[in-house]
Amino acid sequence: MIRYSLATILLLLAAFVVQQFLPAFTGLHHSRILLVQLVFLCCAVTVGTPTMLLLAFIGGFFWDAQCALGPHGGDPEVYTQQVENLQFGYSILLFGGMGLLMHGIQPLFKQGKWHFSAVLSGIAVLLYLAAEYTIINFVRGEFTLGRATMIQMASTAFLTMLFSPLVFWLLFRIAKTCSHSINPEAGRRRRAR
Amino acid sequence: MKPLNLIATLLFLGGAVWALTRSDRSVREIQNAYYRAMAPFLKSGSKLETHARAFLEETRHSKELEAELETTREQLGRLRLIESRFRALEYENVQLRHALSFKEATRFDVVAARVIRRNPTTWWQTVEIDAGSKRGIGTQLAVLSNEGLVGKIDRVDSGGERSSVLLLTDEKCLVSARVEGSPEVGILSGRRGGFDGEPVLRLRFLSANAAVRPGQRVFTTGRGGIFQPNILLGTIDSVEKGALDSEALVRPSVNFADLGAVFVVLSADS
Repeated sequence: MIRYSLATILLLLAAFVVQQFLPAFTGLHHSRILLVQLVFLCCAVTVGTPTMLLLAFIGGFFWDAQCALGPHGGDPEVYTQQVENLQFGYSILLFGGMGLLMHGIQPLFKQGKWHFSAVLSGIAVLLYLAAEYTIINFVRGEFTLGRATMIQMASTAFLTMLFSPLVFWLLFRIAKTCSHSINPEAGRRRRAR
Repeated sequence: MKPLNLIATLLFLGGAVWALTRSDRSVREIQNAYYRAMAPFLKSGSKLETHARAFLEETRHSKELEAELETTREQLGRLRLIESRFRALEYENVQLRHALSFKEATRFDVVAARVIRRNPTTWWQTVEIDAGSKRGIGTQLAVLSNEGLVGKIDRVDSGGERSSVLLLTDEKCLVSARVEGSPEVGILSGRRGGFDGEPVLRLRFLSANAAVRPGQRVFTTGRGGIFQPNILLGTIDSVEKGALDSEALVRPSVNFADLGAVFVVLSADS
């Protein structure tokens, strides 16, 4: 169990590395594959609450370290109405929220129905992006939601979801290597047959 | 709730509060450490992106490239002529200033850099360039292309070989701007979620009866301490008049979809 938990942490850190090789699809309104979020979501459904929260903290913390913008600078007398930054660390809470959502269907995953988790990972990414965009609008004011933004969010969620079977396959392999079962009920049923 | 889960939740919330209360300086230190650890992978990642882009460029039709080469040659010849004229004028100007005992006022140091990565984040409009502190680059420096203002340096990697540029099309990049041929000044910025087609900028805080019309050019004022004056920003596309102030939509002069080489202004006289 501990070995598997450590492996998921390493897998999440590896996802940060691989994410650097995944550019945005300019033809699809700058959609992208959010591998870090996907790996976190897939891991979240296979581990207990404490490990999930640890993964959420690591994922959110490093994601913000990667994406945070600096202060505007310049003369405040000229730039009187500066555009607010998102507070560093907000992603930790968003990752935590997504993790709790995935935990909700953990019983289904334990029965071997990983397909539901794969679909839910896409929905969770969509909700994550929607929540992030809502926070930006809330912090900066003037709510705007254009067609391009909606397509960007939907296609990012869809593209990300397509890779979830691959991540689940990887997690099953890791669990086997660590002699740990991530869907024990399905295993028991198989043995009973 | 199980005691272990309760402790984990409390620790998670404590950690989140700790992260949320970091100062700008601490955040920059965290980012520096993160990018230092990621540096080898970032290099490979941007190489891959550059190779992919080069491959796509190579596969373009040869006739199209020939025509482009011809146009570029024509432009080069024209620019050489302009440059020789500019040099002559500069020399004449220096001579005249010297004669009038003016102080030296023609310093404009720039560093050329290549764009190696585009839009690495979901919501912010940024690019990464292959020049950093080793070549004298620091934060809040203006970045130009031969078409006009591109943006400003947002972050310099601690390795000193890369920097992140916040593009003019981002909502957070504010520029004090003036409209050519009018006394109107305002603040120019990008628009949120501006990935649909060509980007459009917002020029806000113009006076209610602003005498501006489509087609007028917009330049930097030089106020605010970041951007030098008289850098071309774009052309007015439309004007919306309000009760208290007016707002204009501006087409940027720079083609952000085809951004290759940029220049970081290290120092300039305003």
